[in-house]
Amino acid sequence: MKSEQESPIVEFKNVGLRYGLGPEVLQDVTFSLAPGSFHFLLGQSGAGKSSLLKLIYLALRPSRGLISLFGNDIATTPRDKLPAVRRRVGVVFQEYRLLNHLSSFDNVALPLRVAGVRKNEIEKYVTELMSWVGLKDHMRARPPTLSGGQQQRVAIARAVISRPRLLLADEPTGNVDDAMAFRLVHLFEELNKLGTTIVIATHNKVLVDRLGHGSLSLANGILTTSAAKAVLTSKEKSEGNEGLKKDGLKKSEIPPFTTRKGDSDKKLEPDSGQPENA
Amino acid sequence: MIWLRSDLPLSKDRINYFLPWLVAFMVFLLVMALAFIFVLNATASKWDRGVRGSLTVQIISTDDKVEDEKRLRNVLTLLATSPEVKRYEVMEDGRLIRLLEPWIGEGISNQELPLPNLVDVELKSSSDFNAQKLLKRLSLKDNGIAVDDHQVWLTHLVRLIETIEVVALLVLILILFATIGTIVFTTRTALAIHRDTIEVLHLIGAQDTYIARQFARRALGLGLSGGIIGISLAIPTLWMLWQLTHSLDEYLLPDISFGLFHWLLLAILPFGVSVISMLTAKITVMRALERTL
Ligand SMILES: Nc1ncnc2c1ncn2[C@@H]1O[C@H](COP(=O)(O)OP(=O)(O)OP(=O)(O)O)[C@@H](O)[C@H]1O
Ligand SMILES: [Mg+2]
Repeated sequence: MKSEQESPIVEFKNVGLRYGLGPEVLQDVTFSLAPGSFHFLLGQSGAGKSSLLKLIYLALRPSRGLISLFGNDIATTPRDKLPAVRRRVGVVFQEYRLLNHLSSFDNVALPLRVAGVRKNEIEKYVTELMSWVGLKDHMRARPPTLSGGQQQRVAIARAVISRPRLLLADEPTGNVDDAMAFRLVHLFEELNKLGTTIVIATHNKVLVDRLGHGSLSLANGILTTSAAKAVLTSKEKSEGNEGLKKDGLKKSEIPPFTTRKGDSDKKLEPDSGQPENA
Repeated sequence: MIWLRSDLPLSKDRINYFLPWLVAFMVFLLVMALAFIFVLNATASKWDRGVRGSLTVQIISTDDKVEDEKRLRNVLTLLATSPEVKRYEVMEDGRLIRLLEPWIGEGISNQELPLPNLVDVELKSSSDFNAQKLLKRLSLKDNGIAVDDHQVWLTHLVRLIETIEVVALLVLILILFATIGTIVFTTRTALAIHRDTIEVLHLIGAQDTYIARQFARRALGLGLSGGIIGISLAIPTLWMLWQLTHSLDEYLLPDISFGLFHWLLLAILPFGVSVISMLTAKITVMRALERTL
C-alpha cells in the first residue's frame, strides 16, 4: 500500500499469530487499510480469515508484530480506552453471536445501549434499520426462532447500527442465496459510501468477481493484497439488484444509519466513500 | 426500566433460587449474633453500673441480739455522717432469707439461722471512697465488720462476658466473610456461565463497569430479598427469646430492653448485607474482566 494523507484505519506490521504452542496461523502479516476502502478477505477454509479479523476487532492479541487501529497502537492503548476503539468497529461474527435471550430488537440496540444513547433515539434508529433489512415484523422475536438468513440480518444490523468507521464481516453471506448476498452487500456498499472502511471475509467468488473491490488473500498464513478488479458491468449490477427489488427495496435507497452528535471522527468528506486501493 | 433490563440473562441463573436463602440464613445468624452481643453488653454494663459504687457492710452476728442491734446502730450512725455515702439501707431479714432460699431451702426463719446484718451502701459517684477506706473507718469501733465491694466476682464476670462478646464478634465477622465468599464464588460461576455473552458485550464496546453493573444489580436484588427474609425470621425469634428470658430469674439476667439504636442497627443489617453483596459482586466482576482483553 502506498502512502496516504490520512492515517490508515487498520495497520498491521509483521504480525504473527499462533494459538497456544501450535504453528503460526498468520505469519508476517503486513498491510494497511485506507479510510473508506472496501476489501474482500479471501482464503480457503482454515486459512486464517477469522483469525485475522479477530486480531482487528481485538478479540485476540498477536503473538508478535504491531497492530494499529485508527492510529492507536493497540499494544500500548490502556484497557479503559479499548471500548471507545471497539465502538468504532462493527463486526458481523461468523457465527453471528446474537444474544439468544434478547429480542432481535434488543440485539440490534445493544451497541447503542452500551454507548449510552438515549432510549427514544435507540427506538427510532433500531426500528428504521430493522425495517430496512426487512425484519420489521420480527423485532420482538428471539434469534433462535428466526431463520438463518434472518439471524444473519440481525447480526448485520447490529454491526452497522452505530455507523462504525470500520466494518468487519466474517462470511456475512455464508448461508444465503446470491440474491440475498447481493442485497446484504449492498448494505455494506451504502455504508462504505458514507465513509466506512469495509472488510468482508468470504468464500463467495461470484460476489468478489462481480463487485471487484480490492482483496486480501490468505494462504499458508501469508497475506497478499491485490487491487480492485474490473468493476462490475451494468448487467451484473442489475442482476444483483433483483434481490433488493423482490423485497420492495430500491438500490438507491439509503439505509438509515445512525448519525449522532459528537461523533466528529465519523464525519467524512462526501467523496471519500469510494474504494481506495494501492 | 434501566433497573429491570439486563443484557445478561442473569435472572435465569439457578443461583437466584439459592442465594437469597443463603443470604437469609446469614442475615439471621448475623442478627442473632448482634443481638447476643447487645444483650451481653447491656448485661455487663448494667451489672457494672449497678454494683460499682455500691458496697455491702456485713455485721457478723454474735449470740447477743441486743449487742448486735447496738453495733448496727453504730454503723448506721457512722454511715449517716460520712459525706461520701449517698444512700444506705439495712437489708431486711426476710429479703435475705429469700435470697438464700435456693441454697438452704424454704421455711427457715431468722431465729434458726445466725444471719448477719447487712447494709446496702451506695456511694456518691464522684467520690473515690472505697471499701478499704470505709472498712478502716468502721473497724475502729468494731472488729466483726466486713465490707464487700463485689469487685472480685464482678471483675471475673465482666471479663467472662467480654470474652464471650469477642467470640460473638468473631463469629459475626466469620459469617460476613462466609457471605462475601459465597457471593464471590457465585459471581465467578456466573461469569463463567455467561462468558460468551460478556465477550460479545465487550467486543461491541461495553465498558467493564457496564457489565459489572448488571452483576451488581443482581447481587443487590438477591441480597435484599435474602436480607428481608432473614430479618423477618430473626425478629420473631428474638422476640420469642426475649419473652422466654424475661420470665426467667431477674437477678440472673437484668431486664434488658433494646433501645432505638439497637433496633435500627438490626433493621439496617439486611440492607448492609445487600450493599456488601453488591460491592462484592462488582469488585469480583471488575477484577475478572481486567484479566480479559
Ligand atoms: N481457538 C483456536 N485454537 C486453536 N486453533 C485455532 C483456533 N481458532 C482457529 N484455529 C486454527 O487456526 C487456523 C485458522 O482458523 P480460522 O478460523 O482463522 O480460519 P478461516 O479462514 O476463518 O476458516 P473458515 O473459512 O472455515 O472460517 C485453523 O487451522 C484453525 O484450526
Ligand atoms: Mg472463519
